[in-house]
Order: sequence, then structure tokens, then C-alpha cells
Amino acid sequence: MYDNDQRPARRVVITGLGTVSSIGLGVTAFLDGLRSGRSGVKPITAFDTTGFAHANGCEVTGFDPAEWIHRVDATELGRATQFSVAAARMAVADAGLTPEELRARRALVSVGTTDAESRDLDALVDVELREGPERLPATVVRRAQAGRLSTGIVRELALTDVEALTLPTACAAGNYAIGSGFDAIRGGEVEVALCGGADAVCRKTFAGFYRLGTIAPEVCQPFDKDRKGILTGEGAGILLMESLETARARGARIYAEVLGYGLNCDAHHPVAPDQDSLARCMRIAHRNAGVKPQDIDFISAHGTGTRANDVTEAGAIRQVFDAPPPTVSIKSMIGHSMGAASALASAACALALTEGFIPPTVNHHETDPECGLDCVPNVARSTELNVVQNNALAFAGNNAVLILGRHREAQ
Amino acid sequence: MSPLVLSAWSAVSPYGVGAEPFARGITAGRCAVGPLDPATHPGPFDRGGVVPDFSARTHVGKKGTRTMDRVTALAVAAVGQLLESCDGGPVRQPEETALVLGTGSGSVQSIMDFTRDSFAGERPYHVDPARFPNAVMNRAAGQSAIWHRIKGPNTTVAGGWLTGLLALSYAARLHRGGHCARVLCGAAEEYSEQRAWLEWHGRSAAERATPLGEGGAVFLLEPAEAAREAGHPALARLLTTRFRAYGAESEVRAALAACVRDALKTTGVAPGDVRLVAPLGAGGESAALEEAGVGDALGAADPRWIRCRPLLGDTSAAATSLQLAAVLAAAGADGLAPGEAALVTGVERDGTVGCALLAGA
Amino acid sequence: MTTTNRVDAEGRATIKGIICDILEIDAEDMTDTSRFKEDHEADSMGAIEILSQLERAFGVDIDQAELARMVNLEGVVTVIDEALLAKAA
Repeated sequence: MYDNDQRPARRVVITGLGTVSSIGLGVTAFLDGLRSGRSGVKPITAFDTTGFAHANGCEVTGFDPAEWIHRVDATELGRATQFSVAAARMAVADAGLTPEELRARRALVSVGTTDAESRDLDALVDVELREGPERLPATVVRRAQAGRLSTGIVRELALTDVEALTLPTACAAGNYAIGSGFDAIRGGEVEVALCGGADAVCRKTFAGFYRLGTIAPEVCQPFDKDRKGILTGEGAGILLMESLETARARGARIYAEVLGYGLNCDAHHPVAPDQDSLARCMRIAHRNAGVKPQDIDFISAHGTGTRANDVTEAGAIRQVFDAPPPTVSIKSMIGHSMGAASALASAACALALTEGFIPPTVNHHETDPECGLDCVPNVARSTELNVVQNNALAFAGNNAVLILGRHREAQ
Repeated sequence: MSPLVLSAWSAVSPYGVGAEPFARGITAGRCAVGPLDPATHPGPFDRGGVVPDFSARTHVGKKGTRTMDRVTALAVAAVGQLLESCDGGPVRQPEETALVLGTGSGSVQSIMDFTRDSFAGERPYHVDPARFPNAVMNRAAGQSAIWHRIKGPNTTVAGGWLTGLLALSYAARLHRGGHCARVLCGAAEEYSEQRAWLEWHGRSAAERATPLGEGGAVFLLEPAEAAREAGHPALARLLTTRFRAYGAESEVRAALAACVRDALKTTGVAPGDVRLVAPLGAGGESAALEEAGVGDALGAADPRWIRCRPLLGDTSAAATSLQLAAVLAAAGADGLAPGEAALVTGVERDGTVGCALLAGA
Repeated sequence: MTTTNRVDAEGRATIKGIICDILEIDAEDMTDTSRFKEDHEADSMGAIEILSQLERAFGVDIDQAELARMVNLEGVVTVIDEALLAKAA
């Protein structure tokens, strides 16, 4: 909802969190998982894994769409959209907004994703191989649309004055979506934004990463000298954001303030990250947020647990920070939930700021000297936090870095 | 802040590669949909609007295109055309230039081919690693950036038929947020057998007759002042984008009317100033409801309607970007005249409507 | 150099064809010992692609650790030789 009106910039705060993850449904369970260093790893059940030498992942279990999705027929939604819609419902409830109050505000819904409903596309390929392309089921075809991840939320919440945006900018997409919501509220375009990311485990992505030799056989060990790769995961994280004024006016609980974000593109290699370019993205984010490297109290890293990512990311961090702050990867707990990854990590950062702790990097034995970071091994650390940074990288060198700050009411 | 203007554009369409063939075809109202050879275009449709003789090898280059899929090649070519038309200016400061590109669900052909290899191969991991990035939805935007060395924000947008309008909205917001000096913004869609089957099954029986089209359009969006300094013509000012959602199809008309009214009201444009309207014109009832909704908002105004769909087929994610290109084509080399406004509209079957309002600079 | 050469001349030509196709170079530009990375601008993706296509062409399994030896045509032929042997065993 762009227009050219000049309005004073507003401060943007997060007042609601919705999380669907392999370590818990809902913000309470998610927080408990982060604090206790819970691991969501288990054998993959989403598809037949016969023929793969190993197939662990971080799937969401115990998810009943009927529990969260009330207006829309859940069978018309793919699994990723179900996660997205459920997380949005959770975020609205968590923010203490009634559906009517929400509908009365102009809104942006933006959801990032890597695969959207590729799980349904996998299923359709299976049907094609067995029965031919003439036999595809219409219900599955219709729901296998990337745009559904955001329009599903709109339909479920019966929003009318709304822009529904899906951002399939792969594994950095969650931060992209949150960033766009931040700009929309800061610029006064909308009064509320439901932003984040969602993805569902699918065969296509597992097979691809497996072929690249980047799937860990058992567990994900970011920054460990014996790290062996990623574990594919799934879930959704949706943040409810609004201006500080509206949050104050309704006496809302404020998790954190969104201070700013930075985006850039390596424009170099389809899959290999570029250290200098990532360092530049962090600097862009700091400038946009008006913070300095020394202000950052911890970094939630992209930290996939592959050889290449972790050493490149650590190198970029050392390029920007004279003394790097603690740098953790919650992918050690929830795996790589693709488009949901940076959204769930943003939710984790917001909770960390509110609760005063740094989530741990679990499965950690010995830090890779080439990474050389304090990754808060295995046990969460209690500490007061003011500013945190959330990194996200994607294929094609799409980088996105988000900066959140603790909100303190002036005395 | 200086207002944002569209100062260059390119199109790759069933009329051919480039803005000129597109402008000629649209202005003449020539239908570019033709019979499809079932040998090269198998699937449920016997007619379609495909970019003639287009391939990555011929239109992008011999080297580095071995595994490039069609939508990526269309996007890379469209961005290349745009950069060429402004002498590469936007990439002289590659870090300051953003690329925002809309697609459907990426290339469903690439995604589903990849899965097919996993199902059908001797081993489930007998997939082609070099084609894995094609099976991820940010490939077209990402590869366009890699090919043309565009190092600013690189974002992929998806929203069905509204994709082009959403990309425009996102791009303008990105600029306003201070994330770039200019944006290359547009959308691309490929014709593929797999997309054809998905579209055919996804549509109601009444809509199945509409042939599919493909192509892409990309625009240079920059502040008016920057356009002036660079010697780019300000073809149109982007006044606003607006979106709304509807429940039942019967609400489409009212939702779009509200959307357009709101756009006019906030920008102070009189309905009578709107001289050009480029609607989506989707199949079934939707096209009539869309035009009725626009008519309700414009009242007695009598704009010229540019209907792309009968000429190009259903270009899905590229549709609203190609509509915007059609408006610029109709406006000519000098762009929209001062005091003249244009409207691009769309109705998405997922329950959303949107519009972009432009005016002479 | 392996002596039990199970990759015959035809197999060797197949291997060379696959690699040249992936690296987008002419066959005459590749020697038995020219290095993919240093001499032909291969990246990590190219290396995995070579491994992947050879697995499918020869119906063998190649551990990714073998990439360390698959740096030129000679090295690749040796690895395929051993893989064929292992398969026959």
C-alpha cells in the first residue's frame, strides 16, 4: 500500500508471537524449548526415506489444524499454509487483540518461504508417475500455490483492509517478510503487520541437500569442529507488529522493538555464501537500525551447521565485530526450517530480550577454531540484553539481517 | 522526498523479446496466442501465448546457461533488456540497486522435475545438484542478480495474479525504507507442460478454455530527481498501490471499487483524470466484476481500456506486470501526460484484489 | 595409477564427455592431468555435479570424500575404476 505521503517515522514493536516448531507449539512451549536446549530431531516421516543412508529431520509433531484453524477448511490448505495460519492465530491471540479489533486496522500480512507447498507438489509428482498428469486432484493443485501462505491468513482472520504478500526469498525469507512489515508500520502505511515465515518438510528439498552432501546423519552441530551439515525442519513463526503508539494506547505487552534491518545480494554464486558480502549486509543492518557493532549483545546466526556456512558466517562476523558477541544457532535445536527459520529465530530473539537469556547452541562438543566464536554451548545463559542481531542467508546470496532491541518504558 | 517514477521498462512476451515488439503488438491489439505444437508443448492446451523462438542459449548466452530454466532465462533476459535500454546505468552502483521479481511458485516444471528424478531414479538422491537451485523459488531473481551483478536487496514476490502489483508495492516500500537508491521491479512466468497441467486442474470447467501465456516485464523505479539527473524520461509517477480482500466472489466488485476509490482519494486524483485502465480480466465472472468495480469507482469517467489477456493469454504471475507495461506502451515514449492518470487492476481467486495508480510526471 | 583398468576407452570417453559438458569446455582443452578447479574454473557445485552424473552413468556409489581425488580426469577414472570393482565384488 505504497503512497507518497510523508509521515513521521513511527517506532515499531512486536506485541504478539506465534510459533509452530519441532520443539513446541505455541510461544510458551517454544520458550521452554529454547531455555532448556530441547532438540526436535527425529526420523523423517513426511515421505518414504527408503534408499537414503540417513534421514533425520526436525518435524512438527502433534499438530492438529482443527485446533487453530476455524474459518477456513483446513483440507484446502497445504501443510505450510496450515502452519502459517496457525502461527498467525497464535500471534493475534498472544497480542491480546480480538479478531474485530484486528479487522478494524489496515494490515500487511507478509510471509516468507523457501518451498511454499512443495510438499504438495511432491505428492502431485507421485500421482503423475502412477496415474498420469490427467489425474491430478484439483484440491491439492489449488492449494499448492505460494501466495496461499499469506492469503490463507487473510481468509482465516477475515481481514478486508489488507495487503497479502508472500516472499519466497528462500532461507532468508522470514527476515525479508519481517523487514517489510517494519517498513510498512514505520512509514505509516499500515497499523498492524503479521509477518514471518513458514515451510513444511518435503522430499524435494531433502533430496537436494542430501545430494549436495550437506545433510547431517544424526544431529545438527553449528560451529562444532565435527559438524556434518543441516537437518531439514519445518514450522512457522509469525510476529504481530504495530507502532509503539498503538501498543501503548491499548496497554499491550511489548516483547521487543524492531530497530531495523539490512538486505543485500552477493550476486556471485548460486549456493556458496560470500564472506565480504555478508559482512556488508550486517553493516547495512546496523546503519538502518542506528546501532554500532559494540551494541549487539548476541547474534542469532544463520548457523546451518554446514562446513561452508559456519566458517563463512563466522568470518563475516569477525570482519564486522572487533570482539564478536556470543553467537548462537537455534538450528541446533529446531533444524533448518527453511523460510520459517529466520522468523522463528526472530521470535526466539524477541523472547530472549524479554526474558533475559541467550538460547544455547546444543549438540556442541568442541568449537571449530576456524569459527572461533562463543556459541553458548549446550546450556542457555541468563543475562540482560539490549540489542540482538538475527542473521539469515539464502541461495543466490540473498542476505537479510534483522536488529531487535529491548523495549523499556521511560520512567 | 522526490516522488518515485517509472523511468524505463522492458518486456519479454509472446510478441517477442523487447519493449518494442510488445508496444507494437499491444498498440495494434494484435493477438499473440497461437496454436501449440503438441510435440514441443505437450499438455492439455492446444493454444497458447509463448515467446517465439526463445531459449536461454539464444537469448541469454551459450555459456552458463546449460541448466538455466525457462522462467529464469525470461527474467534474466527481461532484466538485461532493461539495463541495456538505460546503458547499464542502474548497475554502475550495483550495491544501491535492488531487484524485486515476482514469480508463481518459481518454476513448477523445475521443482517437479527434480522431485520426479528422486522418485524415478535408481536412488532417491539421484537428482541433478546443479538444478537444485532451479527448484527453489528465488532462483529467477537470484540468478538475474548474479548474471547482471545487482548487489542490492534481492527479493522474490508471489501472489498469483496480483504478483506484479505486490512486487511494485514491495519495491516502493523498500525504497522508502532507505534500502536502495532505485529498484528494478517486475515479474516473469514461463510456459511449461507442468504449469499447464496445474492450471488446467486448478481452474473451473468454465475457465479451462483460456489459453496460457508467458513472459515478463521489468521496470526501473527511481526518484524523479534521480531519473532527471540520469537523463531517463519520467514515464509515469507511481502514486499508490492498494489492496483489499473479499470473501465470496460476489464481493469482488465492491472490494475493488473500495480499493480504487481509496487510491483516488488519498492521492487527490479525480476519477475523470484516469484515462487508461488495464484490468486483469480473469476468466469466468471475475472479469465483468472487475470492470464493474472499476466503473463504480470512476463514475462518469470514460477511460480507454487496455485488455491484455485476450492478446497474450493468461500470463499468471506476470499478468499485472505486463498490464503495467501495456499502460506504458500505450502512453508512448514521453509517458503519461501531466494531469493524466492510469490504473492497473487485478483480482486474485484466492480472495484478494489490488490496484496501482499512476500519473503523468 | 591403477592397473586393473575396468574403465575402457569408451568409458573414459563417456567420463570426459560428462565432465567437459559440466565444465562447459571443449574436449581438446582437457588433458588427463589438467585440473578442474585450477585450470577449468570448476567450483564446488561443479565437483558434486560430476560425482552425481557419474554415479548415474555408471550405476555406482561414490562417497563424497572421493571428491578430494576427483581433481582431474585421471583421478576421476581411478575413482570410477575402484567403484566398479567394489560393485563387482
